Amino acid sequence: MISQDLTTKLKTYRLSEEEYNLMKSLLGREPLPVEWPLFSALWSEHCSYKSSKVHLRKFSYRNERTPDMDGENAGVVDLGYGEKIAFKMESHNHPSFIEPVQGSATGVGGILRDIFTMGARPIMSANYLCFGEVTAPRMKYLMNGVAKGISSYGNCVGVPTVTGQTNLHSRYNKNILVNALNVGYFGPDMKMALSKAKGENNLVVYVGAKTGRDGVHGASMASESFDQDSESKRPNVQIGDPFFEKLLIEACLEVLKKDLVVAMQDMGAAGLTSSSFEMASKGQVGFVIDLKKVPLRDSTMTAEDILLSESQERMLLICEPKNFEKLQAEFKKWSLDACVLGEVQKDRKVKLMWGPELLTEIDPDLIVEKAPQYKRPYSKWHYPNRVESLPTPKIEVAKLIDSKLASFKLNQQHWIHNQYDQRVGARTAMACESSVAFARLDHSGRGLGLAVGCRPEVMLMDAEIGALDAVYYPAFQMAIKGAETLAVTDCLNFGNPQKTEIMSEFVASVEAIADAAKKLDAPVISGNVSFYNETLGENIISTPATGVVSLRETVENIIPDAFSNPFENIIQVQLNWVESWTYAEQSHNRISKFRQNSAADVPAFIKKCVGLDAFLKEKNKKISAIKAVGLGGIGATCLKMSRNNTGFDLSYDLSLEDESTLFKDVFYSFIISTGEKTEEMVKLLNGYFDELGVEVKKIGETKDGEMILSKNSKLAFKDFQTKYFKDLEAASV
Amino acid sequence: MSLKVGVARFLGTNCDDDVRKWVTAKSHTAEYLWFENQFNTNEYDMVIIPGGFSHGDYLRCGALAAQTPVMKSIREFAAKGKPILGICNGFQILCETGLLPGALLRNQGLKFKDEWATLKVNQSKNAFSSKMEKNQLLKLPIAHGDGNYYAEADTLKKLQDKEQIWLTYEGKNPNGSLMNIAGITNEQKNICALMPHPERALYEWMGSQDGMYLL
Repeated sequence: MISQDLTTKLKTYRLSEEEYNLMKSLLGREPLPVEWPLFSALWSEHCSYKSSKVHLRKFSYRNERTPDMDGENAGVVDLGYGEKIAFKMESHNHPSFIEPVQGSATGVGGILRDIFTMGARPIMSANYLCFGEVTAPRMKYLMNGVAKGISSYGNCVGVPTVTGQTNLHSRYNKNILVNALNVGYFGPDMKMALSKAKGENNLVVYVGAKTGRDGVHGASMASESFDQDSESKRPNVQIGDPFFEKLLIEACLEVLKKDLVVAMQDMGAAGLTSSSFEMASKGQVGFVIDLKKVPLRDSTMTAEDILLSESQERMLLICEPKNFEKLQAEFKKWSLDACVLGEVQKDRKVKLMWGPELLTEIDPDLIVEKAPQYKRPYSKWHYPNRVESLPTPKIEVAKLIDSKLASFKLNQQHWIHNQYDQRVGARTAMACESSVAFARLDHSGRGLGLAVGCRPEVMLMDAEIGALDAVYYPAFQMAIKGAETLAVTDCLNFGNPQKTEIMSEFVASVEAIADAAKKLDAPVISGNVSFYNETLGENIISTPATGVVSLRETVENIIPDAFSNPFENIIQVQLNWVESWTYAEQSHNRISKFRQNSAADVPAFIKKCVGLDAFLKEKNKKISAIKAVGLGGIGATCLKMSRNNTGFDLSYDLSLEDESTLFKDVFYSFIISTGEKTEEMVKLLNGYFDELGVEVKKIGETKDGEMILSKNSKLAFKDFQTKYFKDLEAASV
Repeated sequence: MSLKVGVARFLGTNCDDDVRKWVTAKSHTAEYLWFENQFNTNEYDMVIIPGGFSHGDYLRCGALAAQTPVMKSIREFAAKGKPILGICNGFQILCETGLLPGALLRNQGLKFKDEWATLKVNQSKNAFSSKMEKNQLLKLPIAHGDGNYYAEADTLKKLQDKEQIWLTYEGKNPNGSLMNIAGITNEQKNICALMPHPERALYEWMGSQDGMYLL
């Protein structure tokens, strides 16, 4: 029997009885009062990855472009020509659901710090958002708040938000997802910074904003499910100031350039605790830190508050004593404080002082390296919705088209993306108006592609197919624009890992992502896991969001998504990997069935698509639009490609034996618009994709002012705009 | 002729490097002018005040930047009749200093807006329009939360009479500005400012090359 007192303590610090016993045996004694919050924060799911770590090792594949970063803040890709990028994606789901503006803003701020703490200049931001139905309680408030938070923070720091994905589904009604991604750039003259502390007697320096009470216990809050009292967790949410972050970026990059820093780490989840213990543990050194020297917003804060505060825009640096004055002067130039908290010691202990009083001394490895790891039960993946033959459902085409259009995602993101500054930095070649983004790399002039992935509808159908698709689909979208897939980051949003069915989906997803990444030779170099996305026992759709980067030789002449010339041929190229029916977006919880063609070689097809651009150029053939076919089939895709009054006519084509096939989901397929002769193009494309088993056919023509899906379904541009475009824009007001 | 261009830099300016790249691409020399310092106005041929969120846009957009030492020199520079260009936040700063009339209010709809805009050149007799013609249309991107130009009726009348309305939104007005104003000049035509970002529209791959007309 454990005492009442201990039960309360375990509840307060969100630790289990076994974890308490492990703590005791590691320390060899009862934990001191100040040690409870340390273990609570660093052993939280959020900081320790205790339920996922054993599976994340499956992402170990690396290639010559991706050096092993050994636990650094983000993964790095070497692009050659002296250029590198660092990139990572992170969740801020729980805080955003509680307080959408600050929750999403600090999500952007946090991921930016993960990038510039390595010495890279952030150049592209992206996000992956999942909301509930517009009619769900608080949902308009949440959608507006998140859009505002992301845009106000990102715009002010001067990093363009270039792409994103927004999903709506009832399964996110009570637990939205806000995942932020950032890509940082290293030019040939830039130095990479590491977080390993080293050098006895080097100074431990605190820079940035003062420490306040915001976000105390934030990390452990984020590691819990929501209940009725979630509203009361509002004080756990951090408040961000993008102006401060902008100054911090410039000052940090400047001190790195001047070589004044030995190591650098941002204070993210679990604030000063995680940054100091992790820097010491990684560097295999000790620290002595006086908590009384931490600059405070509120002088009544206790040692525990200071250790756990998640106040934003703070960094911990290690600097040689001789360089401190120069470092301080540089920060002062940017109107920021830099103060010494303590120093690095050879003795591998972190000594926390309160003035002259020693609060505790602990081997940092006990908290960082020796954190518990769980092998949660799961079962092998078994494709519950796979069928041998896919029946074409009996549906009334006119109704189908209407319901498809009514629930259409066509414009739902427009009002969000319009609030993002997409071009600051003057590198943007393609942004939110397209399915993928490209930025120009300063030194070489090449194009860096970025797309986010994971389609919740596909995850709902099958976790393994959905997770493969989370890597393949963004890679494919960029490949048809002539960009080679480089690397992957992920943000694994799941429900309660202590439930076998959730853990099974998690394991199937991790293995599928690892497999897809390896086959594309695009290592998973960084990531984040967010568990406990459940409210009152109801889990979200398992959502392994990804960010995929790619490289193109130049930013010139990237073929756009949208049709621009009427009277061109519309040609579809299709690999038959998976076919499914997901037409019922209105009955949200409907599970679709799918048929899989195991002979289809998806990675080979994607790799082949990369060269298409160059191949057509060589053959002197021009195409004016190219886009991957998304969910909702060629019907939905052609609607998305229609812009500036150039529509299409799919009605005359006899190969569409049934109008309902217009909206059948096919993985993977793309559509081109070309002024070249049909027969010649079909022949060329068939020849190019030879042996991959693709189907190439003309499906229609582009048309001025009209969108004709079938003989019975014609839409004039202006009607389409008024009828279907306005829904979500209206929701935003 | 290669010019020496001073690019003002405040805390929170975020288009400084973009402007530097633009100036350099035109074979001019760019030098940053730090907000805490005054500068020798004889040393520069042109000054550009880039966009961003100077001093966090606290108080009002551009209000704090207007009170800095570098602006003191920029006033001197202006009095000499030398060319000054304000872009986005730079426009707001120039209004706050009184070097240009009027003010930029919160966008109609209260949201930040990023989109491509079509602009009409209303007059080309100013320091930044020698390569443009009157009535020419330009395609430039906007990205701002406070671009809704406002001035009292008599000021507007004066702007019209003295041909100080430089650029106007053509077709769609994205922010609710009076008379669709996107850019104005001072009476002497040496100070010009606009809400759109010419430095983000220099090459075909950016989506437009029309920004090149300004320098």
